[in-house]
Amino acid sequence: MKRTGFLYDERFLLHVTGFNHPEAPDRLVAAYRGIAEAGLLSKLTVIRASRPKLKWIEAVHSPKYIWRLEEACILGMNEFDCSDNLMCEDTFETALLAAGGILDTLKLVMEGEIDDAFCAVRPPGHHAEVNRALGFCYFNNVAIAARYLQREWSIERVGIVDFDVHHGNGTQYIFERDPTVFYYSIHEHPSFSYPGTGHEFEKGSGPGHGYTLNSPVLPGKGDKEYKELLERDLFPAFERFKPEVILVSAGFDAHVDDNMSSIKLSTEGFSWIMEKIAEMAEKYSQGRIISILEGGYSLQRLPVLIKNHVEILLRQ
Amino acid sequence: MFIDKSMTKKVITVETDTTIFEAKEKMEKNNIRHLPVVEKDNTLVGIITDRDIRSAMPSITVTDQDSAKERERIFKLQVKDIMTRNPVAISSTNTLEDALLLIQKMRVGAFPVVDPQGKLKGIISVRDLIRAFINVLGIEEPGTLLCILVEDKIGQIKRIVNAITEENISLGSILVARHWEEGKKAVFPYLLTINVARVKKKLESLGFVLLNPMEWTLDQLPKGE
Repeated sequence: MKRTGFLYDERFLLHVTGFNHPEAPDRLVAAYRGIAEAGLLSKLTVIRASRPKLKWIEAVHSPKYIWRLEEACILGMNEFDCSDNLMCEDTFETALLAAGGILDTLKLVMEGEIDDAFCAVRPPGHHAEVNRALGFCYFNNVAIAARYLQREWSIERVGIVDFDVHHGNGTQYIFERDPTVFYYSIHEHPSFSYPGTGHEFEKGSGPGHGYTLNSPVLPGKGDKEYKELLERDLFPAFERFKPEVILVSAGFDAHVDDNMSSIKLSTEGFSWIMEKIAEMAEKYSQGRIISILEGGYSLQRLPVLIKNHVEILLRQ
Repeated sequence: MFIDKSMTKKVITVETDTTIFEAKEKMEKNNIRHLPVVEKDNTLVGIITDRDIRSAMPSITVTDQDSAKERERIFKLQVKDIMTRNPVAISSTNTLEDALLLIQKMRVGAFPVVDPQGKLKGIISVRDLIRAFINVLGIEEPGTLLCILVEDKIGQIKRIVNAITEENISLGSILVARHWEEGKKAVFPYLLTINVARVKKKLESLGFVLLNPMEWTLDQLPKGE
């Protein structure tokens, strides 16, 4: 059995998005319940979040953007940059803690205290760009994590797998010119789904050409197509790239019962994907996977999906 | 939507006595496929395309014996020998719609744009029109496209837009496709949001039919028109 970390902090619930908003605190409550009720808590190293040094947020976002978000909270604004991003006075602090908690988790992995981890954080991150909040995201958690690994731990090859049903436009833009971070995303085809990026022909640019890879999936498709695309695109790409650490943008909104998309992945389909990622981590990254929660809005399905996900990390 | 807002104004041109090798180089260097041909005073007299140049070049089946003579002939070729004279040109007060329809009708890739005196003012190509179309679609902004089947009668779009507005969603663009099934139209609102589940439900409760994405099409114009 692996020593698996589990980042969870009640303060992640303080980012309140208002009535009927899908990215609600209840998502995390559901995730936690799935883990607690399966009796997994005693097998996990539970990690609480701490505030990160601002330099790590600034490793991805512009100082002006960070100030803007802080100021919006102080002023009590309830919307930031777009009508998807509803907020409250604690949003800035919560977003900081989410990123900070992830860095604490990465530190434990890099120091060898734990082998891998799941970070049950919100707000999510992969749509957030350098200067713009989008699609429920404020700070790009996975991008901040990758920069931290590069700068603090001199990791030369970070592999990111993003299986959220939406393309991670923010993460792609941030690393599209960087050959040391491989960004792979599988998502619903951009013509049918938010945000409209992530075409097959988007492959990175300049020195980063070939280090971004997208597998769009047509609406209505599911397990079979995901398997085919991952086998065709991701596995050979990571075989060549050999990431030293794997970061996962774990979104659970491609599930058939999640109404955020028309993709029909089954519960078993999600497990298959994670098992394959774990196999790659064993082969290339000394088992080091840090999985970070992105989307996933079905309160009925999240408990079991997250429980399975964490069990695969535990490899019990 | 006049042409002069979308056309390329800094036009790369050649003159009638430019050799076709120089013309070819100019196209390759600037990654373009059309060169308007002008007189010294910038009066448009013709157009030359990469296809004209390719057809003028020797074919790979030319034998060695022929090739010396052939090479000499080609080296001497000038733009005026192969250009299209009096090309279809449009005026900068023509509209984007004019250009779209004319390009479809004439089956060309670009039009020179001239003033009433016949002087070259710009060039508008299929690429410029595609750029305009991408802008109209709004697809460079993050958003989600829906496809709604509606009765072909007045007031439908109003109901759709009302529903979208009530959900506090910004509209990136809205397209209507004609020639759908009899008595129906397809409406494509591009919504600047990730969160479409609720508005979809709302539209359905108003009696609208959301089409299966695999059946969407914008290409309902009769072919060959």
